[in-house]
Amino acid sequence: MTHIIMAGEQMEADVLVIGGGPAGLMAAIHAAESGAKVTLIDKANTVRSGSGATGNDHFRAYIPAFHGPDMEPVVKEVAKSQAGWTRPQSFVRTWMKTSFDIVKMWDDWGIPMKHEGRWEFSGHTFPGKPFTTLKYSGQSQKPILTKEAKKRGVKIVNRVTAFDLITDHGISGAIGVHGREDKIITFSAKAVVLCTGGCVRLYPGPTPGWMFNRADSPHTTGDGRAMAYRAGADLLNMEIPMRWAGPKYFAKCGKATWVGVLRDPRDKPVGPFVTKPDRIYGDPISDSYKGLFEDYMKTGKGPVYMDCRGISNEDYDYMMHYMKHEGLHGILHHFDEEGIDLRENPIEFMTYEMTTRGGIHYNEKGETSMPGLYAAGDEYFGGISAAATFGWIAGGKAAGFAFGRDAPSKNAGKESSEALKNLVREMRNRKDGPSWQEINVALNQVMSDYIGPTRSDTLVEAGTAHLLRIKEKARKDLVAKNQHELIHCLEVLNLLDVAEVIFAAIKERKETREKYIRVDHPYKNPAFDEKVLVCRKGPEGPLTEWKAIND
Amino acid sequence: MPPIIDDSKCTGCGVCAEHCPQDVFFGSEIKKTPVIAFPEECWHCYACVLDCPVPEAIRLRTPVPMMLSYR
Repeated sequence: MTHIIMAGEQMEADVLVIGGGPAGLMAAIHAAESGAKVTLIDKANTVRSGSGATGNDHFRAYIPAFHGPDMEPVVKEVAKSQAGWTRPQSFVRTWMKTSFDIVKMWDDWGIPMKHEGRWEFSGHTFPGKPFTTLKYSGQSQKPILTKEAKKRGVKIVNRVTAFDLITDHGISGAIGVHGREDKIITFSAKAVVLCTGGCVRLYPGPTPGWMFNRADSPHTTGDGRAMAYRAGADLLNMEIPMRWAGPKYFAKCGKATWVGVLRDPRDKPVGPFVTKPDRIYGDPISDSYKGLFEDYMKTGKGPVYMDCRGISNEDYDYMMHYMKHEGLHGILHHFDEEGIDLRENPIEFMTYEMTTRGGIHYNEKGETSMPGLYAAGDEYFGGISAAATFGWIAGGKAAGFAFGRDAPSKNAGKESSEALKNLVREMRNRKDGPSWQEINVALNQVMSDYIGPTRSDTLVEAGTAHLLRIKEKARKDLVAKNQHELIHCLEVLNLLDVAEVIFAAIKERKETREKYIRVDHPYKNPAFDEKVLVCRKGPEGPLTEWKAIND
Repeated sequence: MPPIIDDSKCTGCGVCAEHCPQDVFFGSEIKKTPVIAFPEECWHCYACVLDCPVPEAIRLRTPVPMMLSYR
């Protein structure tokens, strides 16, 4: 076997954006418009990376021409929604106030934000409640945003995965590993914006032993959360679980794009909100009750079907159009392969695996707990509109911060770059040991067995001990046969750090509240009202602290 | 497992390999039919099919465990 030597390379910018989804591209666009020299690095290619790769069709927004002059009802509704209920209301207010500007920008750039020339709101809505999700045609959102970033001089570096932030004398950039060449790149910057997306691949997916059948993009592996944690930044609400639901076995988000009624096997609607397919509402029962599909299976009453029978021709065309824009191309193709017709065939739905709802603690300015470090998008779950809006805000703020400071010293990052070089060199040159898959499966196992739906002190204790042993083995023994596997090894190391934080947070929150359940503490503890649980790195592992919600 | 490339139609332009978010085509070279190095890592996002300039040069097959359950 040839001995792999990792080459080194240096790049400089005022603002470094990590991750090129809607949040990262909007951050880069705004920072560059503000006059900063911007570099954006993406693990894949910004044209099709992340969970919005081939489209989205719902965008939370307040549109004065649609909603009228009073924004507050929309703010209140979004604050109660899946995207807003763990956020302070001031955060949601900033989001909604800025959302229309973002919608107008996107529309100007060629992402169609209107339906047949008008603002159309549908899906994720309960009858009688304010509409909050704007229907849009986002299939080409990523190529369009990439073009806009390039137009403004953003330097895009694709196929580079950032693994560590440079923290000498404040945040000074990041170290990245190339996914195709044996190369480590040191990015020196005055400010950094983390936009790496969600935390997929923590828990086992719907298909046993398969890693990539996932509702969200499987290459979003909590890299930003792990990097921020290792650098000393605060993570928030990591113990709060999040679950998606959608078509059974072909995991894909986009439930609200389906125009049908959720029914049991005897055709009885499982929710009280709709009795016939209606494109305006879809069936919102699964918005307030995501575990519904799993519960119906467990109790033998299931399965539950998405039943589009009886849909009007107009609504059927509408649904099929937006399925493309939501990026459900694989499912549409499968309909053709199997001869499935939604006008005749009810499709079984399921509740997908857990992940964490929480993430990097960033405020309504995109600021994290560390000066010079910004974050946006699904670094803390919020969905596409929060990503675009807070990406934009964070990019502007990061540029402002960068103008107020000198460039980091030439030696910044030298030590962390050497450390990473040694780590990856070892993984690339080792002959025997576990592959990334082995470690990832071991992690999935410990997550689902010890902090799955059943959570308690004794389970957390046993699970933490096991997790730490896996982690030690991973750091010491992982083998990467090529750069592709090397990136997966780094992802797994990130997932292990994120997992350790989740275990620590669950240990600390000894209560049951909303969707967070502790079987050994089945009551709400009023001492935690108006508080959030913050985790940060300590000398011996994660430290936890309760903070007032608006801190 | 996906994707499947029709050798007789593929021009070796490399767009699928460049755009694939999961780098399923790792190790591919321009001007040659792309290598499907990690088919089990496909997320079925369809970037390769949508962005391929040649009609029907590339398609995805749905793996059996991902078949929808319906009635």
